[in-house]
Amino acid sequence: MISEPSTLKRDKRVSDDDVLLRISNLSLHFPTYRGVFGRQDGGIRAVDGVNLDVRRGRTLGLVGESGCGKTTTGRVILRLYDPTGGRIVFDGEDITHIGGNKLRRMRARMQMIFQDPQACLNPRMTVGSIIAEPLNEHGVLRGTEKERRICELLDSVGLNPKFANRYPHEFSGGQRQRIGIARALALSPEFIVCDEPISALDVSIQAQVVNLLKDLQERLSLTYLFISHDLSMVRHLCDDVAVMYLGKVMELAPRDLIYKNPMHPYTKALLSAVPVPDPRLERARQRIVLKGDVPSPADPPSGCRFRTRCPVAFDRCAVEQPAWRKLAGDRWVACHRAE
Amino acid sequence: MLNYAIRRLLISVPTLCLISLVIFSLLKMAPGDPLSQLPPSLPPEVRANMRAALGIDEPLFVQYLLWLKQFFVIEPLHGFDVLFGTHFTDGMQRIISWQSRGPVFRIIAERLPQTLLVVGLAYIVGLLIALPIGIVSAYKQYSVFDQIGTFLSMLGLAVPSFFSGVLAILIFAVYLDWLPTIYNTNLIVNSWSSFIEQLRQMAMPVMVLAVQTTASISRYLRSSMLDNLNQDYVRTARAKGMGENVVVLIHVLRNSMIPVVTVIALGLPSIFAGAIVTEQIFKVNGIGELLITAIYANDVPMVQTLAFIFAVLIVVFNLIADLFYGLLDPRIRYD
Amino acid sequence: MFRLKSLLTGGVIATLLVTSAFAKRGADGIVKILNWQAPSMMNPYLAGGDKEVIAASLVLEPLAGYDENGVLFPRLAAEIPTVENGGVAEDLKSITWKLKSGLKWSDGSPVTSKDVVFTANYCMDPKVGCAALAGFQGVDKVEALDDLTVKVTFKEPTGVPYTLFVSQWSPIIQANQFADCLSAKAPTCTEANFYPIGTGPFVVTSFKPNDAIQLKANPNYRDANKPAFAEVNVKGGGDALGAARAVLQTGEYDYALNLQLAPDVLSEMEKGDKGKAGFTFGTTVEFLFMNLTDPSPSLPPEERSTAKHPHPILSDVRVRKALSMALDRARLSDIGYGSMGKPTCDFVPAPPIFAAGSTSCLQQDIPGAKRLLDEAGWRQGPDGIRGKDGEKLKLTLVTTTNPVRNQFQAIIKQWWHDIGVEVELRSIDASVFFGSDPSNPETYSNFYADAQMWANYFSGSDPGAYAESYTCGQSHGSNTPRYCDTNYDALVTELGKTADIEKRGEIVKKLNTILMDSYAIMPLVWRAGVSGISNTLGGTASNAWDSELWNAQDWYRNK
Repeated sequence: MISEPSTLKRDKRVSDDDVLLRISNLSLHFPTYRGVFGRQDGGIRAVDGVNLDVRRGRTLGLVGESGCGKTTTGRVILRLYDPTGGRIVFDGEDITHIGGNKLRRMRARMQMIFQDPQACLNPRMTVGSIIAEPLNEHGVLRGTEKERRICELLDSVGLNPKFANRYPHEFSGGQRQRIGIARALALSPEFIVCDEPISALDVSIQAQVVNLLKDLQERLSLTYLFISHDLSMVRHLCDDVAVMYLGKVMELAPRDLIYKNPMHPYTKALLSAVPVPDPRLERARQRIVLKGDVPSPADPPSGCRFRTRCPVAFDRCAVEQPAWRKLAGDRWVACHRAE
Repeated sequence: MLNYAIRRLLISVPTLCLISLVIFSLLKMAPGDPLSQLPPSLPPEVRANMRAALGIDEPLFVQYLLWLKQFFVIEPLHGFDVLFGTHFTDGMQRIISWQSRGPVFRIIAERLPQTLLVVGLAYIVGLLIALPIGIVSAYKQYSVFDQIGTFLSMLGLAVPSFFSGVLAILIFAVYLDWLPTIYNTNLIVNSWSSFIEQLRQMAMPVMVLAVQTTASISRYLRSSMLDNLNQDYVRTARAKGMGENVVVLIHVLRNSMIPVVTVIALGLPSIFAGAIVTEQIFKVNGIGELLITAIYANDVPMVQTLAFIFAVLIVVFNLIADLFYGLLDPRIRYD
Repeated sequence: MFRLKSLLTGGVIATLLVTSAFAKRGADGIVKILNWQAPSMMNPYLAGGDKEVIAASLVLEPLAGYDENGVLFPRLAAEIPTVENGGVAEDLKSITWKLKSGLKWSDGSPVTSKDVVFTANYCMDPKVGCAALAGFQGVDKVEALDDLTVKVTFKEPTGVPYTLFVSQWSPIIQANQFADCLSAKAPTCTEANFYPIGTGPFVVTSFKPNDAIQLKANPNYRDANKPAFAEVNVKGGGDALGAARAVLQTGEYDYALNLQLAPDVLSEMEKGDKGKAGFTFGTTVEFLFMNLTDPSPSLPPEERSTAKHPHPILSDVRVRKALSMALDRARLSDIGYGSMGKPTCDFVPAPPIFAAGSTSCLQQDIPGAKRLLDEAGWRQGPDGIRGKDGEKLKLTLVTTTNPVRNQFQAIIKQWWHDIGVEVELRSIDASVFFGSDPSNPETYSNFYADAQMWANYFSGSDPGAYAESYTCGQSHGSNTPRYCDTNYDALVTELGKTADIEKRGEIVKKLNTILMDSYAIMPLVWRAGVSGISNTLGGTASNAWDSELWNAQDWYRNK
């Protein structure tokens, strides 16, 4: 069991519905410029009105095609980008616009695990110093206590504590991701954004890392936002699943419901692409093949974003944006067709 | 690392031998004559006599071998003699300049301090200005500061020192009358006033040279910083809750300095080689000026020795740059 | 009463001025001299050019030197030996110098005749490679008669026996200091070559080759009140423009040598009112040399450009004369040198006693030149170029790479083209052109061209040796046109035996006429040396015959 630094002991406020993180109508538009004098001419709507609730101690999976804004959403939540609209409420506190020291203190409670374990580790720092840096910065531990903490962290992610003096390039991809996880755990955060933490790894190692994450969640009662395009991993790990398309969330539901009975045509299409391990079933499986490309986020379609590729689109979809509606079974969807 | 360094040094021996031969042959093939400044009315017999005294008429390979012997045996031995008060080289012929009939190394030793002071200081000043400019330009890419910095760097790279030097003289010496145009080599710094005088006479050459260093190094640093600023580990550092100062100065800068340090190390030989044009303009009696006067006077032993020393310095600093790279970047191993 | 008072005041001022000019030794502080060409040593006998010789003249002195009028005056000698005072033997075969008594080297030791004899031995040692050897060439022996008397014996009667130990090129060096520097050891004597012990007004305290020389007043200088300056700083490096700026514009330096700049640049700089440019007309003349022998590459190398084969075109004096008549020397002088040059028709333009002052060549005469070429049988061809017997009138004109000379080349080409001569121009780097390597085909002495242009001059004020260089059988380095005329040679021999200055002047003028009428060498422009002199520096007297710094002991600071 990892000892928790006393200063970081969080007061276990019980919020009303046990939601740790609530984001509402979150959006991030990157302005684009053109011409000799760089006039602003609109923007890329990377995140465009996203609503999500992440419950304490649970894992929310965020899935979608590449470029749909999942990673950006994760980064905006951690305030690595400044949102252009909406609110982020973490543990009852609005962190949408906090800055300076307040933000830095908040960072101790929210961490991120990155997709590329090689690039996210500073190549000129030893593993020990990478892990130690946030401890120094937040002035938590000193001297031997710090050393012990580093060893503990390495141990808890299944790495030999002797590795502390080595450089990142001396490790394999899986090991590096473990270092990244240890690094994220250093300040004992409550909430971790896992940004495709396994997609750069070998399949054999993917399961190890996912199991490690799961294990850590149980031991440390962590809350995850698990960003991935791997639907089977999401099914394995997550409690709730949100599906994103072109900067918007299409559907949000508990895992079992969404896998059994997807409501949104996009979710249906995505799930139909997941291979089934049984060859007979696999052969019989009906796939919904979406036509065309994802439209540009700089110039999204009117009405429903998905309508250009939706197999069941009708007139209303082009005119009216589907509302974010709550349906039975604590699930949410944004589709005119969904009942 | 040590093995690698030794191996590299061994490889450089044949390289340098070849370079010395090339330098020697080029100088011998080049037209010119050390006696061409004597009055034309001087009788040819007298000229022939003077040529013989200089040893120009010896066979080429004899001249080359003699030079090799002087450079690699007599001069180091002489250095040993001077250091330890021994007398191995008494009566041996050192490399003698044709112009001054003085030992080449004595003259180089006399010139080196000025070059190290002026060109070296310019390098340091240039770096000290370049680093903040490069950092801020990259951190605030496309900001007004970056645009101005880019413009000034381009200007610094594009304007040659024979122009900027003369312009500086016109402004600061002729019109404003603030600074001297001629570097006084014999100034002895022993008081505040002489120190200030030294600063005044160094100001213009140092600034003219520093502008060029600043321009190129700040550009290198800027692009290297930009490469690193978008790396994930920078995001990681931010996510860890590091302050922006730590993120930029520790994480980004240290990684960005790897290629820049190499560039800086490769530029170091020029501190010893001096700045031919700038030294000439401000009459700083450095190595650069020595080289150009020796070339004008067809002082072959001097030019040859200087050129070869430059070659050695370049080879050595290339090695140093490579070793530095290994020290700075843990991903690189020399085994 | 009033008048008396003003007279008195005037007298006081005059006295003050005089005392300031003749102040005590070292009273005027530092004088700063800029010699941008940067001397590389202080031994004129081993020097590669004038710049070293001039710097050395602050320290080393000859027995006699030339003053600003080109007149010999004694320096270390008690008086100038002449036939009248018995110093020169009646048969002109020996000269006896007497040293001033009580002379001291800067280290305090006495100057004796042994030093003079040693100097001769040093320079005449073939392994030393002495630059002043020419002056010693006719010498049979140099001997010390007593401590203060030296007798030089010549092999032949010598009309002007002042070639050795006279002028900046041939000063006396200390026997004691250079004793170990004889023969092949001469170049290794760095200390002696950088810090010679001399008798002149200054002593070297620090010598940095090609850079800076610091000197201080010689404590043992023979005149107790001189020099007025306690220190001299000679700085080298840079270029003529920067040097002119430092004296004329910013006033950082007191004196700058060799400011060969465009006249308008200098006059613009003089507006700063910090200093003035001073012109000195010496013996330097820009010449065209005609090759009287055949430079054709088809000849065997050892016969190319030798008297064996006369030049197919230029051996005809009418052609040479026509080429000379086509020139407008005044225009050339104006374009190239402005106030720093004068058109001339004399190969010895100065001093006045030797200058013929001929003006016959100054008038450009294109029609006359054409007539002359017609007479010589060169007929105008259809393309405007003359020809004879199927051969074209085509010449190559070579000079050094130098903006003024290359401009001259182009102008001369145009004039010669006007009279029907085709000209091919070539320019060669000065260090190659004036090189001493006999195997190099591009040198002025090999002269593998039809005409060449460069400046010649003689040192000192006596043109004897200079005139002799155009006699038959002289080497190609001195007699570049390969000129040979028995009348001329006879006159030169007579000159060699004549000691009387008036008679020498007449002979040189005759020689001038003969040589000029041969059109083998064509004087173009008489060129001046240019120096920059600060307004605060007094006592300078420009001297074209000896070192520019010949009277540095008399320099003072204007108060």
